[in-house]
Amino acid sequence: MLGNLIGVLFDGIAYGSLLFIISIGLSVTMGLMNFVNLAHGAFAMLGGYSCVIAMTRLGLPFLASLPVAFVVSALAGVVLERLLYRRLYRATHLDQVLFSIGLIFMAIAGATWLFGSQQQPVRLPDFLRGQVRVLGLDFGAYRLFLIVVVVAITLALTWLIERTRFGAEVRASVDNQQASAGLGINVERVFSLTFALGSGLAGLGGGLGIDVLGLDPTFPLKYMVYFLLVVAVGGAGTIKGPLFAALILGVFDVAGKYYVPQLGSFVIYVVMVAMLLVFPQGLVGRRA
Amino acid sequence: MAKLLSAERLTAGYGDSIVLEDVSFEVDAGGSLALLGRNGVGKTTLLLTLMGLTRLKSGNLSWEGADIVRLPTFRRAQAGLGWVPQERFMFPSLTVEEHLSVVARPGPWSIARVYQYFPKLEERKQNLGNQLSGGEQQMLAIARALMTNPKLLLLDEPMEGLAPIIVQELLKVIGELVRAGEFAVIVVEQHARLALTLTREAIVLDRGQVVHRSASEELLKHPETLDRLVAVA
Repeated sequence: MLGNLIGVLFDGIAYGSLLFIISIGLSVTMGLMNFVNLAHGAFAMLGGYSCVIAMTRLGLPFLASLPVAFVVSALAGVVLERLLYRRLYRATHLDQVLFSIGLIFMAIAGATWLFGSQQQPVRLPDFLRGQVRVLGLDFGAYRLFLIVVVVAITLALTWLIERTRFGAEVRASVDNQQASAGLGINVERVFSLTFALGSGLAGLGGGLGIDVLGLDPTFPLKYMVYFLLVVAVGGAGTIKGPLFAALILGVFDVAGKYYVPQLGSFVIYVVMVAMLLVFPQGLVGRRA
Repeated sequence: MAKLLSAERLTAGYGDSIVLEDVSFEVDAGGSLALLGRNGVGKTTLLLTLMGLTRLKSGNLSWEGADIVRLPTFRRAQAGLGWVPQERFMFPSLTVEEHLSVVARPGPWSIARVYQYFPKLEERKQNLGNQLSGGEQQMLAIARALMTNPKLLLLDEPMEGLAPIIVQELLKVIGELVRAGEFAVIVVEQHARLALTLTREAIVLDRGQVVHRSASEELLKHPETLDRLVAVA
C-alpha cells in the first residue's frame, strides 16, 4: 500500500512535470500580454511530431531530437506571433479564444493530413526504458528522467527570469507595459522572445511527452483543459505558481485514476474548484 | 544648432477627444522649463504626448532636429527622454536595484552615482517596488529615469502627495540635478512656485492651450499674474 502510494506520487510528479513544461509558456503569455492562447498545445504537438520526424527520417537518437523539437516550435512561435498573434493583442478575449481555437482545428487537420490519425510511436533509448530500483522501490526510468529534466529546466528558467536583465525586462513588462516602454524597454521584442521561449518549451514538452501523453492529431484539444487548469490554478505570469499547480494536478490526476477510476478526470476538476475557492488569484497571485 | 526638443502646434488627446490644442514650445540642451496650469488643463497629457503615449492629431515634434512623431515610445526613451510618470509606476516584481539596472544605458549615470544622490534607495535596494513609501517611490522613479542617461528629464508632479519634510529633501536633490545642467528638464507642478524656482523658462496652459510664456523669474516677480493664471478660481 505504501509502495503504491509512493509509486502514485512519483508517477503524478512525473506527469505534473510534463504538464508544467508544456504550460509554462501559456502562463507567461497570459500573464504578460493578457492573451488567451488556447492553441498553446498545438506548439507542443508540433514539437512531438518534430521529434518523431527527427528520429525516423533523420535518424537522430531520441535525446538529440529533443532540441530539434524545441527549436522548431520556438521558430513556429516567432513566425505565428509576428504574423497573427500580434494583431489580436488588443482584441477582446472572445476574439482571442475564437482565433486560437481556429488555429487548433487547423493544426489538427494539418497534422492528420501530414501524419494520419494514428498514434505516433517513439523509440526510447535503452537506458530510459525499464525500471530503476531505489531503496527497494521500482521507479520508471523514463519518469525519473522527466523529473530530472524538469528540475533542470525550472532552475534554468528561474535563473533567466530572476537573475538576468532579460528576465527583469520580462517582469517589468508584465508589471506595466506602458512604464516599461516609457523607460526604453522594447516590450514587443521582449514579448516575441518570451513567446518563442514558451512555444519552444511546449515543443520540448511535446517531444518528452510522446511516451506518456501519446501523440496524435487531437493532442492540442485533448490536453487543452489541462494546460488551462495549470495556469488557472497556478496564477498567470509566474514560474512557481504553475509549477506547484502542475505537480498538484498531476498527482491528483494519477491518484484519482488509480484509486477511483470510476470518477475518471472528475477528481482534478474538484481539486481545481477547491483551489480556486481558496486562492482565487491562483496559488501565486501576481496582480495585487 | 538644432534645439533639443521642439514642439510645433501640437494637437493631441485620447481616442476622439482633444486635450491639447496648438501647443508650441522649445527646450534647449541643458535648459529647464516649468509647465504650469490648473488641474486638468493638459499638463500630463503634454508629457505623455512627448513620450508618444497619446494620439497626436496634428503638429510636429522634433528631437535634435529629427522628426520623432512616428517613433515608438521605447525608442524615444532610448533617444534620451527620461520619463518620471505622475503615477510613479513602480514594478512590484522588481527590487529597487533591478528598477535601476533593467533600464540602464551607457552614460555618466551609474547605480553607484544614483545612490549618492538617493542614499535611502541603497538601504532599500533589496525591497520590491511595492514595498516603498511614497517618497521612496518618487526617488526611485527619478533615479530610474536617470539610469536611462536622459538628455531631457520629464518630471510629472514629483511633489504630489508627499509630506512637507520629504518635499524639502527631494527639492534639494532635484535642485542640484537641474542646476548641474547635465540634462534639460521639464517640470510639471501644481505648486507653481516650487517649479518656478527650479527652472529658467515657464509656460502656462489653460484648457489645452498655452496662455502665457516667460522667464520663470518674471512670473515669480509678478505673483498677481501667477495667481490669475494658476490659482483655482
